[in-house]
Amino acid sequence: MKPAPFEYIRPGSLPEALEALARHASAGKILAGGQSLVPMMNLRLVKPAVVIDINRVPGLADIRVDGGELVIGALARHAALLGSEVVAKHCPLMVEAYACVAHGPIRNRGTLGGNISHADPASEMPAVLAACDATIGVRSAKKARAIPATEFFTGALATALAEGEMVTEIRIPAAKPGQGAAWLETANRQGDFAMAGVAAIVAVAGGKCTQASIAVAGMERPGVRLSAVEKQLVGKALDDAAIAAAGSLASEVVRPSDSYHADPVYKRELVQALTTRALAAARERAR
Amino acid sequence: MTATFPKHIPAEGYIPPSRQQEPARKQYKYIGQNLKRVEDPRLLTGHGQYIDDIVLPGMAHAAVLRSDRAHARIKRIDTSKAKALAGVYLVLTGAEAKEMTGATAQFASPPVVQYCLAVDRVRHVGEAVAAVVAENRYIAEDACDLIEVEYQDLPVVVDPEAAMTSTGDAVLHPERGPNNIAQQRTFTFGPVKEDFAKAEVVVKRTLRWGRSGAQPLETVGCIASYEPGSGKFTMYTNSSFLNYVGWLVGASLGVSASKLNLIPVVTGGSFGSKIFTHKVMTLAGTLARAAGRPVKYLEDRLDNITSCDNHGSDRLYRCELALKRDGTMLSLRFQVIDDYGAYFQFGVGTHGNSLCQIVGPYRINSIQMELIAVLTNKCQQGAYRGFGSEVTNWMLERMADAAADELKMDPIELRRKNMIQPDQFPYVIPSGNVYDSGNYPSVLEEALRIADLPKWKKLRDEARAQGRCVGIGVATCQERSVFSATEFWSLNGTENPGFTLTSSPESTQLRIDPTGTIHVTLGSPFWGNSPETMATQIVAEQFQVDPAQVNIVYADTQSGFNSTGPGGSRFTVMIAGAIVGAAKQVKDKLLRVAGHMMEADAGDLEFRVGKIGVKGVPQKEKTIGEVALFAHYFRLNLPEGDAFASGLDANYVYDHPLTTMPAADRSHLGIFYPIMGHMCHLALVEVDPKTGKVAILDYVAVHDAGTVVNPMTLAGHIRGGTAQGIGTALYEKFHYDESGQLVTGTFADYLIPTLAEMPAAIRVGHVETPSPFTEYGIKGGGEGGRMGAPGALSRAIEDALSQYGVRCDELPLTPRKVRELVRAGEKR
Amino acid sequence: MALIPISLKVNGTRFERAVEPRRLLSDFLREDLALKATHVGCEHGVCGVCTVLVDGQAVRSCLSFAVQADGCEVRTADGLAQGGKLSALQQAFWEKHGLQCGFCTPGMLMLATELLERNARPTKAQIEEAISSNLCRCTGYYNIVESVQRAAELMQGGAK
Repeated sequence: MKPAPFEYIRPGSLPEALEALARHASAGKILAGGQSLVPMMNLRLVKPAVVIDINRVPGLADIRVDGGELVIGALARHAALLGSEVVAKHCPLMVEAYACVAHGPIRNRGTLGGNISHADPASEMPAVLAACDATIGVRSAKKARAIPATEFFTGALATALAEGEMVTEIRIPAAKPGQGAAWLETANRQGDFAMAGVAAIVAVAGGKCTQASIAVAGMERPGVRLSAVEKQLVGKALDDAAIAAAGSLASEVVRPSDSYHADPVYKRELVQALTTRALAAARERAR
Repeated sequence: MTATFPKHIPAEGYIPPSRQQEPARKQYKYIGQNLKRVEDPRLLTGHGQYIDDIVLPGMAHAAVLRSDRAHARIKRIDTSKAKALAGVYLVLTGAEAKEMTGATAQFASPPVVQYCLAVDRVRHVGEAVAAVVAENRYIAEDACDLIEVEYQDLPVVVDPEAAMTSTGDAVLHPERGPNNIAQQRTFTFGPVKEDFAKAEVVVKRTLRWGRSGAQPLETVGCIASYEPGSGKFTMYTNSSFLNYVGWLVGASLGVSASKLNLIPVVTGGSFGSKIFTHKVMTLAGTLARAAGRPVKYLEDRLDNITSCDNHGSDRLYRCELALKRDGTMLSLRFQVIDDYGAYFQFGVGTHGNSLCQIVGPYRINSIQMELIAVLTNKCQQGAYRGFGSEVTNWMLERMADAAADELKMDPIELRRKNMIQPDQFPYVIPSGNVYDSGNYPSVLEEALRIADLPKWKKLRDEARAQGRCVGIGVATCQERSVFSATEFWSLNGTENPGFTLTSSPESTQLRIDPTGTIHVTLGSPFWGNSPETMATQIVAEQFQVDPAQVNIVYADTQSGFNSTGPGGSRFTVMIAGAIVGAAKQVKDKLLRVAGHMMEADAGDLEFRVGKIGVKGVPQKEKTIGEVALFAHYFRLNLPEGDAFASGLDANYVYDHPLTTMPAADRSHLGIFYPIMGHMCHLALVEVDPKTGKVAILDYVAVHDAGTVVNPMTLAGHIRGGTAQGIGTALYEKFHYDESGQLVTGTFADYLIPTLAEMPAAIRVGHVETPSPFTEYGIKGGGEGGRMGAPGALSRAIEDALSQYGVRCDELPLTPRKVRELVRAGEKR
Repeated sequence: MALIPISLKVNGTRFERAVEPRRLLSDFLREDLALKATHVGCEHGVCGVCTVLVDGQAVRSCLSFAVQADGCEVRTADGLAQGGKLSALQQAFWEKHGLQCGFCTPGMLMLATELLERNARPTKAQIEEAISSNLCRCTGYYNIVESVQRAAELMQGGAK
C-alpha cells in the first residue's frame, strides 16, 4: 500500500511553514509525527497534493512552565511528554493517560499537536486537554489565536482550525495542590484506541467537592466535557453515592459512536463504570 | 495393549502392521536435545532470502485492483488511462487473463471454478478484478487508481443460514445448483439411533465459531519469469505443496511440468495459509508471460486480509450429546453449517479433518454429522492451524462442560470418567480413524500438578469472596498429526469423489560427499517450523555424527521428489521416515566400503562419534570422511559389482506410515490421521464484569507429541499456538457487515494479541507416549496450543461469570461480547 | 515529480541519493540500498516488523518517508553483526529460541537495541513493555523476552 504522489515542502522556520500553508490552502497537509497521517496515506484514504514537513521547524517542541501554565510546543513528541518530569509534576493526568497511548516507537514520533489536529474521537489526549481546560495556540500566516480545548474539537476528525492554520502550542493550567486526577480507559488491546476513556479531575475542600472536570474519549466527538455531571458533583460531598450517581448520569449524557468493537449500549456501560472508577481514584489522589 | 474397535468396524486386518524401522528408545544422542536451530544464523543477520528479498534483473512489480463491493457483475472495465501512465508495462483484466490462463487449482468435486482475476463477476469484497505490471509498486498502484470499473450490484449474502435458501442472482455459482449450498450430506458412524435411545440425558447446545485466520506477518508472494524461446516458467514462491501438486499451476498456465520450475523460499510464517498459494502463482505467471519480463507479485496486507483465500473455519453447530446420568458419554450428533465464502478450493476437507478425532479423548460410541457447506460473499476459506479440527475440539469441550453442568458433575471428573484408557490403544474411533497411542489421564494429572489446582481453587474462592470474577477452565483435546490424502476427497459424494489420490509422501535425497559432509535435500519449504533442525538432529542420530557435519538443501520442482510438505503437524514425522529410509541405504554402503577398508565384516562395524569402527576394538576405526573419500575416488580399489559403485547417496520416498481406504459406503473413513497427540490446557482468568475485559492470570499446557526431537522448538509451538488460540478465543474475527464489507479489514481492527495480552507465563509440560508406527515414535506437535486454548478459555470465562449464568457458546469472546453475556445475566 | 536529494548515514555508511518524496523509508532501505533485513508486514504502522533506529530511536519505517531521514543516522538489523560474527544480541536470540519464522525478528532486534542502549540492565517488566510494541505470530513472545534478558547478561560480560 503505497501513498499517492505529492509535492514535498520542508520549511525551516515557522513563518515559512505558515506561508506554505497559506499558499497551498486545502491542498496542503502538515506532516508532523506522521503516525496518523502516513497510515492513511499508505491506505490511500487521503491523497494530499502537498505535504508540509514541519519536523525541522525549530522552537516548536519546547516543554516549559510559564506563569502557572504548562506550555507544550505542538511538535513535542509523545515520548518526550511521557518521560518529562515537568509534565509529571504539572499535568500528571497526561502522563497517566500516555501509558495507554499506542506503543513506544509510535510515541517516539507522534506529536501532541499532530494528535489533536487529527482529532480522532477515540484518542486520549483530546479528553485530557479538555479535562484540564487547556488552550490551543493556533497560528496562520496572518494571525494568532487561542482556542479553548473544549471548543477546538468540532467533530470526529474535525477541528476548529481554519484553512491555513496550524497548532503551535498547547497551554495547560498547572495542576494545583489539592487536585486529584485519574485516567481510565477500556481498549481491546494494550495501546489500542479507547472504546471509552474517562479523564477525571477533582478537588475537595471542607468535605465538599470544589472542582470536578470530566471528559471522555470514544464518543462521537473528541474533547467533550460532561458538564451536567460536573454540575451535579460540585458543592456536595464526594462520597461513593455521589460518585455512583455521577457514573450513572455520565452514561446517559454521552453520545457514543457505534463500531464493530463497541456499540452505543456497551459504550454507555463503559462510561458508567469508568467514570465511577476514575472519580474514586481521583478522589483518593486529592487527599 | 489390545486394539479397541467399535462394533461397526470389522477388526480383522483393519490396522496394517507397523512399518517402523527405528523403535523409540530411552536414550538418544541427538534426538531430544535442545539443539540451537540450524536455520537461525542467517535469519538473524537478515539473509533469510524471503520472497520479497529476491531481485531479478529487469523485474517488474504487480499490483491488483480489488472489488470494493461484495457481489456484482462486471459490466465494463476501462484500462486505457492506466495503460497510458508512464512506467506501466501491462494492464490485464480478468476477461483478458482468461484468454491466456485457465482456472486456478482446486480440490473440490464437483469443482467451484475460480480464476486468478475475476472474469465477469466479483463475489467478495477484495476479489481481484484487474492487475497492473509496472516499474515499481508505487506506479502500479497509481495505475490501479486509474482503472474504471462499472459494476452491476447483485444481492449480497453473508449469513450462512440465509445462504441455504438463496435464489436467483443471490446464488454465487449458479452452475452448481439453485442455492448457495455447496454440499450437504449426513454421515453416520456407528449406532447413533440406538445409542440415543439409551440416553438418560441429552445435552443440547448451539455453538458459533467465528471466522479468524492465520495472518502470518509475511504475506504471499511470487516472482515469476517466463522464457519465451523455450516457453518455460520459473517461479520463486513462498508456497508449500510445490513438490506435491505444484504442477497444477502449470496446468492452469497451459504448460506441462517440464516447462515449470517452482523454487521454494524461506517463508515468514504460514500456519496453513501458504499451503498452496496457487492463485498468486497463477497470476504472477500470467503477468510475466504477458508482460515479457519477470514479475514480482507480493500481496500487501490489504490484499492478504481480504483475499488470501485462507480464512479459517466459520461454523454454526447444533449439537446433542447423549449420556447416562452417571456421566458416561454415549453418542454425539450434530448439524454443522460451515460458511466457506465465495469459493471452495479444498471442498469440505476441514470436516474430514474434524472426523479424525471427532470423539476427542473420550469413549463416545457413535457419531452423526449433518454437514452443510455454504457459499457466501466472503473471502474463501483455506487452511488455518488445525484445519477444522481445532473447531471440533472446542465443540467437544463445550459439550463436555455443558454435560458437567447439567449433571452437576465436576468437569474434570466427567472428562476423566470418559477418557480412553492407556491399555486400549490402538483405539479405533467410530469414524474409522485410529488413535495410535496415548495416556490421557497422565497428561491431565501432569497439567493439574503443574497448575497446582487446589491453589488455583483457593485463589478463585478468595477472589470471589472479594466480589471478583475469577474462573478456571480445563480442556483435554487431541492433536492429530500426519494427514493422509484420503481426507481430501472421502467426504465428497461417492458418485463423483473427484481425484481420489491416496499418496501423501515426503522425500529426501541423502548424499555424503568426499569430505564426509552429509547433504540432505528437503522437498518442502521452511515455514517457521524447524525442518533443517529436525532433519539435522535425525540425520545426526542415524549416523552418530556432529550436527555440524550435516548440510540441508531445499529442492525445487525440477529436482525434488514427491513431498507433501508441512501442515497437519506432519513434517517431522514424515521427514524422519524419509531420512531413515535413505540413511539405511547409505549406511549399508558405508559399512560395506569401511569393511573392505578395514578388512572387517560389515556386521562387526558400528557408527560411533563420527566414525565407523569395529565393535569392541576402539583403535580400529575410520572417520566417515575417510570412508567417503574412498567411496568416491577409489573405485578400482573396491570389489566388482554395483554394490561398490562410486558414490554414497540414496533417495527415499516415505509413504504415510498408517493409512487405509475409506469404506465404499462411507460407514467409516478408514485410517487417515492416526498419529495422535494430546494436550491438556488449564486457564485461570479474571473477568471484569462491567467492562467485559478478560485477564489470563495463569496458564498451563501439557502436550504429548510422542518422542520429542527438540523440546525447545516443540515448546515454541505450544506457546506460539496458544497465543493464536488466545487470539481466536478473545480477539480475532473477520467481520463482514450485511453489505459484505469486511469491517475488520486492517490490523487496526483485526486484532492480533501482543505480549501485553498474554498471561505472564504459559507453563509447559511434556508427556511422551511414542507412536508404534513412526520412526523413533515421533508424533507431530506443530499445531500446538491453538488446538486446546479456545476450550480452556471459554470455560474459564464461563466459570468466572457463573453468578450471571453465562454460557460462552460463541467466539470470539471480545469485551463487548462478554459484557453482552453479563448484561443478559444481570437481567435474568 | 521532482526528486529530493538526501544525505544520510545508514549502518555507519553515508549515502547520497535523490528520492521521490513519497518513497517510504522501508522501501528505500530495502530496495534502494539493498538492505533486506528490515521487513514489511502491514504498511499501516501496527505490526512493527519494519522497526529501525533513527538517531537512536525506534521508529516504524513504513510510517516515515525517506526524505525525512535526510541528515539522520539510521540503523537496521543488517548492521548488527560485526566482522562476520553475530552480535551478543543475535547470539542471545539464537540461544533462547527467540525466533521461529524470523520475519518479525529484525524489528524485535531493533527494539531491543534501543532498550539496551538506554538501559543496560532492564527489568523483565521493562523488556516486556518494549516487546509489546511489536507483533509476533509464531513464538508467543516469551522467548523473545528471555532472549533480551540473556543479551543484557552477555553484554554485561556475564557468562552462564
